[in-house]
Amino acid sequence: MEEKVLNDKVFKIISQVMNIPAEGINENSSPENIEQWDSLQHMNLILALEEDLKIKFTDEEIAQMIDVHLILKALRTKNIA
Amino acid sequence: MKYSEIQQILNKANLGDLPKLNISVLRNVMIESMVPYLKYMAYQMGFEAKVQIGEYDNIVQESMGLKEGLLTDKTDCILIFMKLENLSWKLARNYAALEPNEIQDEIKRVHATVTDTLSGIRKQTKGMILWHSFEIPLYPPINQNGIIQELNKFLQGSLAQLSNAYYVDINLCVSRIGAKVYYDQRYWHIGRAPYSLDALSEIVFEDFKFIRPLKGKNKKCLVLDCDNVLWGGVIGEDGLPGIKLGKTHPGSAYYEFQEEIMNLYHRGILIALCSKNNSEDVWEVFRDHPDMVLKEKNIVASQINWEDKATNIRKIAGQLNIGLDSIVFADDSEFEVNLVRQALPEVTIIHLPKEKTLEYRDILASCGLFDTLTISSEDRQRGEMYKAEVLRRDLQVKAPDLDTYLKSLEMEVEIKSADEFTIPRISQLTQKTNQFNLTTRRYSDAEIKGLADSKESHVLYLKLIDKFGDSGIVGVSILKYRDDKAILDSFLLSCRVLGRGIEDIFIIQTLKLAKQRGSKVLIGEFIPTSKNAQAKDFLVKQGFKGTEPAYDLNQAIRSEPSFFKKIIT
Repeated sequence: MEEKVLNDKVFKIISQVMNIPAEGINENSSPENIEQWDSLQHMNLILALEEDLKIKFTDEEIAQMIDVHLILKALRTKNIA
Repeated sequence: MKYSEIQQILNKANLGDLPKLNISVLRNVMIESMVPYLKYMAYQMGFEAKVQIGEYDNIVQESMGLKEGLLTDKTDCILIFMKLENLSWKLARNYAALEPNEIQDEIKRVHATVTDTLSGIRKQTKGMILWHSFEIPLYPPINQNGIIQELNKFLQGSLAQLSNAYYVDINLCVSRIGAKVYYDQRYWHIGRAPYSLDALSEIVFEDFKFIRPLKGKNKKCLVLDCDNVLWGGVIGEDGLPGIKLGKTHPGSAYYEFQEEIMNLYHRGILIALCSKNNSEDVWEVFRDHPDMVLKEKNIVASQINWEDKATNIRKIAGQLNIGLDSIVFADDSEFEVNLVRQALPEVTIIHLPKEKTLEYRDILASCGLFDTLTISSEDRQRGEMYKAEVLRRDLQVKAPDLDTYLKSLEMEVEIKSADEFTIPRISQLTQKTNQFNLTTRRYSDAEIKGLADSKESHVLYLKLIDKFGDSGIVGVSILKYRDDKAILDSFLLSCRVLGRGIEDIFIIQTLKLAKQRGSKVLIGEFIPTSKNAQAKDFLVKQGFKGTEPAYDLNQAIRSEPSFFKKIIT
C-alpha cells in the first residue's frame, strides 16, 4: 500500500477507535497529546489495526508501537495489501 | 463486523433518546474491549447500553456491595467473567502436580466463591445474572477436564436455584471460532486480557441470546421465500420433479435447511411464506413432493402472489396481529431483501445468497434471534394456535354482526387463581407481552409464586378454548390489596385474542374478585411504553374514572357478555 494511503487509513482507524476527528491526527500524535489515548485504548487500537489491515504484530512489536510515528514505522515492515 | 466499524457507528449514533440497558460486568480478567460490542448489540435492539465494569479481580467484594452503584435495582443484567486461571491457578495450570486432597481443597474454594458471589449479588439486585462458564483446557492432563466439567455443573446447578440467573456456555464460543482465534496470548501476557476481538464479539452474541428475550425483543415469526430457499430452482419453471430437494446432494442442503426451520417451529416460532409464485404451484410442492419436511399445517400464514414483498409482509403481520419488529424475513434475492430493508426497516433480514446454499442451515441456526429463556408447552403449540386465529379472522369477514360471530366461536374461558402448573406460563406472559399490557411489569416464576401465595395479592389467569382449538393461557391480571383498596398491578392479554370480549370478561371478573375481598375501590394504572398504545384507553372504556383511574366497587358491576359458551371461575 502507498505510504500516504496507509497513513490516512491509520489516522482514520485512530479517529474511529478513540472517537476524535481524523483531521487532528498526524505522524506526531501520541498519548502525550491525545487525551483519550490511554493503555486500554492503545490495546483497542492495536487490535483494530490488525483486524482492518489483516496483519498480526508480535508482543515485542506491540511493546515498541507506543505512538503514531512508531506505529507507522512498524507497519512499513509489514506487507499490507 | 469489524471493531472500528462498530465504533464508527456508535460514534455517529444518537443513543440519548433510546431506553437504557444497564449492564454491570464483574470480572477477574481484562475485558474492557467488549464494551463496543455490548453497545452495538443493544443499539441493534433499540437500547442504549450503559456499561459499568467492576474493578479487576474484585468479583466477590463487589458482589457484596464494595462498589457503589454497580449492582442496584436498576441493573438489568450482570455479566460475570470468573476465569479459572485467576481463581485457582493450580487447577487451571498446575493440575498434574496436585495431590488429590489439594484438588479437593481447590474445588471447595471455587464452590465457596461461586456461592458467596451469587448470594451477594442477589442481596443487591434482581437483575439477570449471566455467568460465563469455566473454559475447558485444550491439552489437559488426565482427568483435569473431568474436574472442570464438574465445576461447571456445580455452577449450572447454583444458577438454576436462583431466578433470572443463567449459565452461559462460553465453550460454545471457543468451539465456534476455534481456540487459536479465541485466545490472544500476547495480551494475556501483556495485560491479562485473554480474549481476541473475535472472541469478545462471539461472547457478546451469546449473551444477547439471553438479553434479547429479557427485554421481549426476541423474534416471533420467520417469513420465508420459497424458490431457491426451501428448494433449489423455480417451481413455476422447473416443475415438481425438476426442483432440488431431497436427502442427497444437491437437494440435501434445502432438506436440512427445512429441518432447521422445523426446529424453530417446535420452539414456538411462527412460520409464514412470502413468495412470488402461483400459489397452486407452491402448495403442490408442499402436498406432493416426497421430501418436503415442512408441511402445509406448519405454515401459519402465507402471501403467495405477485405483489411486492413489503406489502405482503405487512399483510402477514396484520393477519397474525404481531409487530413488524417481531418478524424475520429470509430470501435469496438481493433485490427483495433490499426492498424490504428499505420499506420495512423494523423487519430483520436474513439474506441467503445462492452461492451459500450449503450454509443456509448454519446461517439460520446461528442467527441468535429467536432464542427464548424457557420453552413452555404453549410455545410448542403456538403455530397451531395462531393458525386457528387466522381461520377465525377469515370467519369474521364472513359473519354478519359481531355478537353472532362471537357466539359462533363457542368460546369457553377459564379465569382462576394461579397454581403451580400455570405459574411458568404466567410469568412468561408478563415477560413477553408488550402490546396489550397496562403496566408492562415483568415477573419471574419466583415472584409470581410469591404474589400467588400472599394474602395481600391475587394472581388471576385467563385460559381460552374455542371451536378452532385451545389457545391456552392468554391473560394475566394481578391485584394487590392495601387497606380497603385494591390495586390493578398488572393486566395483560395476548394480542391475538383481542377484539372478542375477552378483555371485558377478564376485567369484570377482576372487579368481582376485588369486591368479594371487601375492597371499596379498584385503582387502575397505565404505564405508557413505545408498544402499548392500544391499551391506553382501556380503563376509561371500562368505567374507571379520574386521573388516577379508579373503579368504585360500591356500584353494581355489569354482567358478563352473553356470547360466551362457558365461563369457568
